[in-house]
Amino acid sequence: MSLAEILQITWLSLTVSGLAVLLAFLTGLPSAIWLYLRDFRGKRFIISLINTGMGLPPVVIGLFIALLFWRNGPLGFLQLIYTPAAMVIAQFIIAFPVVAGLSFVAFEQVETELLLQARALGASRLQMIKILINESRLGQLAALIAAFGGVISEVGAVMMVGGNLKGYTRVLTTSIVQETRMGNFSAAIYLSLVLLALSFTVNWLLTSIQHRGETKWKRPNWK
Amino acid sequence: MEKTELEVKGLRLTRGSNWTLNVPSFELRKGECLVLFGPNGAGKSTFLRVVALLEEADGGEIYYQGRLIKDNNRTELGRRAVYLLQKPIFFKGTVRENLLLGLKFRRFEPSEQLKRLETILGLFQLEPYLDRSPFELSGGEKQRVHLARAFIIQPDFLFLDEPFNGLDVDLKDVLLEDFSRIRKSIGTTTILVTHNRDEAAFLADRIMVMIDGEIVQAGPVEEVFSRPATPEVSRLIGHETLVEGITVGEEQGLLKILAHGQTILAYGSAQAGQRVILTFRPEEVILTREKPTTSVRNWFYGPVEEIKSFDRLTLVSVNCGFNLKAIISRASLEELNLQPGEQVWAGIKASALTVAAP
Repeated sequence: MSLAEILQITWLSLTVSGLAVLLAFLTGLPSAIWLYLRDFRGKRFIISLINTGMGLPPVVIGLFIALLFWRNGPLGFLQLIYTPAAMVIAQFIIAFPVVAGLSFVAFEQVETELLLQARALGASRLQMIKILINESRLGQLAALIAAFGGVISEVGAVMMVGGNLKGYTRVLTTSIVQETRMGNFSAAIYLSLVLLALSFTVNWLLTSIQHRGETKWKRPNWK
Repeated sequence: MEKTELEVKGLRLTRGSNWTLNVPSFELRKGECLVLFGPNGAGKSTFLRVVALLEEADGGEIYYQGRLIKDNNRTELGRRAVYLLQKPIFFKGTVRENLLLGLKFRRFEPSEQLKRLETILGLFQLEPYLDRSPFELSGGEKQRVHLARAFIIQPDFLFLDEPFNGLDVDLKDVLLEDFSRIRKSIGTTTILVTHNRDEAAFLADRIMVMIDGEIVQAGPVEEVFSRPATPEVSRLIGHETLVEGITVGEEQGLLKILAHGQTILAYGSAQAGQRVILTFRPEEVILTREKPTTSVRNWFYGPVEEIKSFDRLTLVSVNCGFNLKAIISRASLEELNLQPGEQVWAGIKASALTVAAP
């Protein structure tokens, strides 16, 4: 396996999963805000659905997306099966409940009277939402970390909707499966290390943002 | 002082089946400090939140400076007011950021923000804490930051829900005085909720007593404290002296009652040997150093236990076998020059006593 090939695979892994998480963040966060601020019948039901979604096996999601985009399927005309776009969509569906669900929990951790005090100091609705996001920043980033960790490491969905096509839809996880199957253990190990390094780098970046501005870790002294 | 700044008409709000806030009319004058006084659960906080536009009533109208509050001007007019929750709740960031938040919400120019910050730091002595997290501060310091972030906005209205609750006494006294001084110097029109009568007496230009969601009495401090409109208000204000005794006979058409080893004369009717409760209001009590020879029939003698000064009135507690409470003017206190521990005569006319069965 050439270096160029590895770089291409790594780059695709990063962009597919990164894009999926970005989309999940852009839709999941507003959904969580909406859920948090509104009271309506069936709210609890929706929260349960989202929580269930967090634990859905990627292969099941892969199956549904594959059925949807199959040539004769309802969305077959889009010709997305075995494309990176289909992989992004599948991973987005895996990441969305994680982002929405964990963001919602993060909002619930914020003291309820905080928004009331913000309003009472003159905050508009938008300013209250900004306060809400800022106060739950740790939780929001935890949601991103969990979502990214989930999709960068999953293999079932990308395999089923992407097809592991060399040079087109092959990503780190699918190539590790491929190399192992072919008995190329050293290549598989090498790719695994790349995957781990990639995962670590992204998480380290997110963790740095998460704890930006925190002067010290507040915890009791265990000595 | 006479201009109406805030007006409420026909306010109603029902919670559950047996609780209703009902305020047919309410007015707040420019610059005054109105103390909303009442027991817990009376609806004071709810009323305050409704008036602060944080909660909607079932019916009624609210006017800020003559303008009716509607959905489309709620945020705009709401920014003329600041409401502080009882518990000082802070936002992530430093004391500085917390203090400036209200100005940021209102999009003040940075130069104006700085100017106001400097003024407020001086008034509340918060300079040393500016770059610290408010979560690290002590209770009193937190409360200072809490109050300061309201005053920095220079709101037309300030609504405070029990701002001095849960502070220890020394701290509270200092903060009360600082608050009162700063509020008067800026002239902020204020409604303050409390169930503490000392706080009420110290801060209020006007007191409004609320019981079960209704305003039962409103007026200047002296008036409400010396002439409670209903027995409930009088109990709430809590200055009434109650003495338990036994009727022992009659003398010149007056009931003779034995209480705490003393004979008390009062108007009323009761069988000899019957247990009775005597009550009298503190403003009816006369305090002197020498026992005078006046028509006053009942005199008690004992040491002064406590002297509490309000703005214009002073509450003196005297231990004469029972705890007797007297309200006298600040001038009379100065004339008497009383100190705690000193012996004093307390006189009360027979006609000022109420006799009731226990």
